[in-house]
Amino acid sequence: MSHDKSSKAYSDTPSQPEQKVFYSTDPADFFYMSVNVPCQDYCPAKTNVPAYIRAIYESKFSSSYEINRMVNILPGVLGRICSRPCEDRCRHGEKELGRSVNICHLKRAAGDHKSVGHIYEHQLFAPNGKRVCVIGSGPTGLAAAHDLSMTGFHVTILEAYDEPGGMLRYGIPDFRLPRDILTSEIDAVLRMGVDLKTKVVVGKDVSMEQLLTEYDAVLVSTGCYASRALNEPGEDLPGVYSGLEFVMEVSAGAKIDLGNRVLVLGAGFTAFDCARYALRLGAEDVSICIRGLEEELTVTADEIHEAKLEGIKIRSLMIPHRVVGESKVEGMEFLRSKPGEKIPNRKRKVTPIPDTNFTLAADAIIIAIGQSAIPIPAAAETDESGVLKTDPETFRSTAKGLYAAGDYITGPSTVIDCIAAGRKAAEQIARDLLGRKFREWVVSIQETKITDRERSWDYIPRVEMPKVESIEERLNPPDTEVELGFSNSESLEESKRCYLCYLHYEIDMNRCIYCRWCIDEAPRDCIKLVENVTLNEDGAVIGLTESSSWNKVNAVVIDNTQCIRCGACLRVCPMDCISVSKVQLIEKTVSVGEQNG
Amino acid sequence: MSIIDITVEVCGMAGDGTIAAGGLINEAMSLAGFSVLGFDSYPAEIRGFGRCVTRSRIGSSDILALADVTHVLVSLDDEQSISRVPFLSRPATVIFDNKPPGYIEEAQSLVAKLEPDTHLLGMPLHDLAVAASGTARGRNLTALGGFAAIFGASPDFFRQVITKKFKRKGEKVLASNIMSFDAGYNYAVEQFADRLQPVFVDATQTDTEKVMLSGNEAIGKAALDARLKLYFGYPITPATPIMEYLAKHLPEQGGRVVQMEDEISSIGAVLGSYYAGARAMTATSGPGFALMTELIGLGVMAEIPAVILDAQRGGPSTGLPTKTEQSDLHAAVFGGPGDSGRIVIAPTNVSECYKYTVKSFQFAEKYQSPVIVLTDFYLDNRVENVPPPSSTAGEIEDMTIGPHKDVAGSYVRFEDTASGISPRSIPGAQGFNYVATGLEHTKTGSPNYSPEVHMSMTEKRFRKLETALQDDLPKPKEFGASEEMDLGVIGWGSTFGSVLEAVNLAKQKGHRVGALKIISIFPYHRKEIKSFMAKCREILLPELNFSGQLANLIGPLHHGEIIRINEVTGVPISPATILFKIEEIIAQLASSRVHDYQN
Amino acid sequence: MAERHCVIIGNGPAANEAALTLREKDTDLRITMIGKERVGCYRTHLLPNYIIGKTREEDLYVHPTDFYADKNIKLRLGQPVKSVDFSKHEIVLDHKEIVKYHGLIIATGGKPRIPEPFLVFSDIFLTLKTVADANAWIKKLKQIDSVLLVGGDLTSFVFADALIKMGKTVHFVLNDESFWPIRCTPEIFNQATGALSAAGVQVVPCQRLKRLAVQSENSVHVETDSVSLTVGAVGAFFGLRPDVSFLARSGLTIEAGIIVDEHLKTDFDNVYAAGDCAQVFHPELKDYWVSIGYSNAKNLGRIAALNLLGGTFEAEMAPTKIFQMDGIKFNTSWWTEF
Repeated sequence: MSHDKSSKAYSDTPSQPEQKVFYSTDPADFFYMSVNVPCQDYCPAKTNVPAYIRAIYESKFSSSYEINRMVNILPGVLGRICSRPCEDRCRHGEKELGRSVNICHLKRAAGDHKSVGHIYEHQLFAPNGKRVCVIGSGPTGLAAAHDLSMTGFHVTILEAYDEPGGMLRYGIPDFRLPRDILTSEIDAVLRMGVDLKTKVVVGKDVSMEQLLTEYDAVLVSTGCYASRALNEPGEDLPGVYSGLEFVMEVSAGAKIDLGNRVLVLGAGFTAFDCARYALRLGAEDVSICIRGLEEELTVTADEIHEAKLEGIKIRSLMIPHRVVGESKVEGMEFLRSKPGEKIPNRKRKVTPIPDTNFTLAADAIIIAIGQSAIPIPAAAETDESGVLKTDPETFRSTAKGLYAAGDYITGPSTVIDCIAAGRKAAEQIARDLLGRKFREWVVSIQETKITDRERSWDYIPRVEMPKVESIEERLNPPDTEVELGFSNSESLEESKRCYLCYLHYEIDMNRCIYCRWCIDEAPRDCIKLVENVTLNEDGAVIGLTESSSWNKVNAVVIDNTQCIRCGACLRVCPMDCISVSKVQLIEKTVSVGEQNG
Repeated sequence: MSIIDITVEVCGMAGDGTIAAGGLINEAMSLAGFSVLGFDSYPAEIRGFGRCVTRSRIGSSDILALADVTHVLVSLDDEQSISRVPFLSRPATVIFDNKPPGYIEEAQSLVAKLEPDTHLLGMPLHDLAVAASGTARGRNLTALGGFAAIFGASPDFFRQVITKKFKRKGEKVLASNIMSFDAGYNYAVEQFADRLQPVFVDATQTDTEKVMLSGNEAIGKAALDARLKLYFGYPITPATPIMEYLAKHLPEQGGRVVQMEDEISSIGAVLGSYYAGARAMTATSGPGFALMTELIGLGVMAEIPAVILDAQRGGPSTGLPTKTEQSDLHAAVFGGPGDSGRIVIAPTNVSECYKYTVKSFQFAEKYQSPVIVLTDFYLDNRVENVPPPSSTAGEIEDMTIGPHKDVAGSYVRFEDTASGISPRSIPGAQGFNYVATGLEHTKTGSPNYSPEVHMSMTEKRFRKLETALQDDLPKPKEFGASEEMDLGVIGWGSTFGSVLEAVNLAKQKGHRVGALKIISIFPYHRKEIKSFMAKCREILLPELNFSGQLANLIGPLHHGEIIRINEVTGVPISPATILFKIEEIIAQLASSRVHDYQN
Repeated sequence: MAERHCVIIGNGPAANEAALTLREKDTDLRITMIGKERVGCYRTHLLPNYIIGKTREEDLYVHPTDFYADKNIKLRLGQPVKSVDFSKHEIVLDHKEIVKYHGLIIATGGKPRIPEPFLVFSDIFLTLKTVADANAWIKKLKQIDSVLLVGGDLTSFVFADALIKMGKTVHFVLNDESFWPIRCTPEIFNQATGALSAAGVQVVPCQRLKRLAVQSENSVHVETDSVSLTVGAVGAFFGLRPDVSFLARSGLTIEAGIIVDEHLKTDFDNVYAAGDCAQVFHPELKDYWVSIGYSNAKNLGRIAALNLLGGTFEAEMAPTKIFQMDGIKFNTSWWTEF
């Protein structure tokens, strides 16, 4: 079907009078959201994915960008380099349903295609006269500074390096994240009245005690900048590089001659960045050597695929033993490893197998096996490495007014995790300083109508991100952005694929005549003849007892965990007894009068 | 073109469109020039969780019966289709939905039950139909698309018959069905490129026109062509389609269909109509037929014509409403008190359903007697492609006498003639009125119970039937018979096709066998049957009832015991079952022959 | 389910041997073999001969179809497995059927390996692993005169020879990355080049395949860093890799193949892997290895079955076979890292 907007007589159009909205804080409704809109549930920042994709479908790129920006101040950045936990959970990617929606790249499309005169939407609280200092301008610090500023605080960011952005600027290669995108999204935060002071190192240029007296609160969000060492012989030989430093130097423009054969030790995004940088610096034979298994890498499958396509090899089950070489690196000796027992939700333990030494020849070795926080001296309780001890829920340290959040306390995580953490810390600081809440999560429920989504759209193949195909062109110039971005029409096409899981379909059993037409039409086993419904202690539906015996059937129920929101049941229902409502997990600003508990 | 003989089954749950799909296969393959015999079975309940199966035997020469094995199974519901697995040939081809909406356990999986050499052709029927037409309802047509592609049948034949079927439901429904079909066709052509079995590829539309008719439709059409005036009936499986057919078409030619409150009133109304001169009939099945017996007696006694169609099903009582059986023969021939001789005829295939329904009106009117046409579920619901029945074949001579000066005043309604046939008038004209009564009566119709009257009138009424036997009733027909046979196989009704196929196969194997078809069940041609029996060392009579009802009737004509096959399985008897028995008997005869020589 | 149900995924030599061993040792066990291919177990090494018409199709097959029914083994062909849920003991088939098991032997064998940089050409490449592949070659060879073979595995040399005997022009791209299952040495490289040239094969020495372009159905234009030529078809012969992608994220430990202990047991109880899809640590090689060859597969299949029934047999580690082709000898029955 052509994308005909004139004939649209469905919901989500402004001309239609909006139905009354009901806000719920019932735990059963939160449970429902977590099961039924898994993309949002698995987003650390709780991005309202169906809403922003629907906005793209309606060609409202600007409003799609703003839906993102409500919880994530860097949509253009995350639209490129997010770790995409949402896509692993997208309903469209379930077993027989095809592949997940390209949620991340649609986010980028919202940024790429938003109008030239895009207007930011802000809900600003009145200035409250209090001052907060944020140390570090990475994603955590930026998110916290932004929210605090909106809440009415006067915010100052202290940044140790020349420019703001932290790891985004210094740790992520430019072929993945062009710097102009990053700069403009950071500027959108700074212009909120946030003071940025660069080249200030806390503990050297200014002490923590000083900051705590000058400001009502201080948030430490300095991330992880200490490269973990291998602690094996030969690590000091020329030709051995530390991963983070390597990426930071190359990002800053250094031209390093690595030679031909490069081994990268490590299994995270940094290792992949190092390997792909190495190729761009002219190396021909680049391998990423991992202790465990390729399948258990935390980087995205797409990243692995791209790296391999560029010619990078991934070698698994090998533990670095020592660097080989006299005056410079000649190779690396490894031991074969044995994967330990797999325990769900835990990293698998990998142990070396004695006496299995073997050597791979190399001209350079890049060690990207992890990073950790650099402690900042402060008069508060710390762990053994000197990093502040904080409560993971409240971000408070043992010193009054001193908070810490992000990678600094969790160790290396993802950008979206950091943004979520920064925002939570900001809300906590605001509540602590002013004694009231400013924002809270609610489930908004609104009667609506069926959309114009067609069942055939479920068969649209996933629109893949167009990329620079030729490997040679990718490497020349080396900062060529590999991913080209969706065109307007590609993003519209991809947006059609979203099931819009925020729509909730329900059968009114008072009117149902058990004709079962809906079941005949059902695209999968989503409408059930049910004998009994099981509720959890909060009253949320957690199970349906089906019956194939006609005499035992008590209701016809849409199993929302199976429902793909195709609307076929509603269209075929002769009794018009199936209703649709739009249920969304949203963050609502709370006025003084609405305070409760 | 090599000899083609393929049996295709479509199996699904009620509501899957199974019967429609099977019907379209029949129509399309008929259009392609093949002989087709189709038979459906469906659940007894009106709406529920029942199994529907259609079987279509498609051949390049005449098809006499359903085959024993199924070569192709099109499954619209795997759990239901499991029951069909034992009937599959080796190897068989199975088309099934490999992306059904839900997951299935091994115990409910069709695929899990199949032999390893099965040609498994999984198609995402549900998804294809939805993608093509926006609704899953067309998945039966998607499966047909797959069937057409895999077996090399031109999609045009299918599109033609789909158009014919759905045209009247509007452009949208038609387009959606065609799209569903095409989706399946294109998918199969692409995905199964190296697995096609293009057996039908040489098919071309034949010049000789054939139409696809079910037994019931043939009966309905015959009634129309016989210029039926009034149909009275009460719905009952498997006779209802006749009523439905006539309800649609009878008014077009000025007739009427009246649904009565029960079967008693139905037969009563038929007799009343005929008494008043209007051609009338009723159709029922066993339980309804039982209610009619008293009034059939009235028809016999008062010599009023009536055409009663008894579509047999599994009995007694409500029995097996959607299963086939030939167990009403005794009831049809003997049902009711008194010596109520009547004509009972049993057609054996769809063409004969037409032919003998037309004839039944002629017999009823000429011999002034109730005529019972015995069909059964298998005959009523099977479809065959037959040459279109002639529209003039149904013209029936008016046998009544009208107001005429010469006879006026001397009209004797029940006159005792040599043939036993008395002059019948339409009451109304002066001098031609008479009393029709269930009491025994004299020639003029006055009640009279004297021994002489009852003896002579009873004899007259039976003499009339003897005349019918000599002059009109279809004689038994021999097939492949010779002067000296080891075994003669006698068949009647729907079973005869299987008998003939089995006999043909046995003859091909070199056995000395022959078949006899008996259509006139009562009265029956004693001389002809006896003469056939005399040529055979043994006689076999397969029929779908427990007590051997025809064998009981004609048994005394045989010098020995008739060997019987009596099946009450509810499903048609297969040629293989009969062939197996034939070979068993012949083997026994051979060994006894050896034994004789040795003595 | 009262009776014990053992399922074997696969229908190759390892799977067959496993099934027969189970039946031999336990007459009551319910045994199901689920094969992805539509044909019964066949002798892969005969495929080149089958393609050139020297072997009849029926001679490819190891057992007649009814063999399995006679042994009371349920054989299911043409039914790919989609995933396995080891916690629920459930196999999910591609057609959305769920099969429960008490014991499971995974013996899915190998599938053609296409190194990642060549993946962009995978639509153009023909491979030779299955009967279906062979039939595709037969169809193709009727229409073309010349073939380019890329790679250098054991099959490729035999197949090149067969094609020459058929009268086809054969080009062969050889470079140090080509060989499988062993790493190339200059010695082997020279040996192979010599042997191939002597047989009439045109060896194309090059480092990189730069471009493949389909010009028409039976014509592919090939550009390497040294030459450019046009051939009828391109065959990829980079050896095999375990066919275990359906088990990704199932919880099994998978590197190249399914990592099993010396008893061929996986991480899960009552789940074993055998044949070309299993990867075992070899104490003498001091490395992981994956077996190749028919007899290795059979041995491993038998061991897996015996251990599933409670045995503690160790996987046979000794190389059992020498592959050779006119002048090239590989003394190996395993491969380690590729």
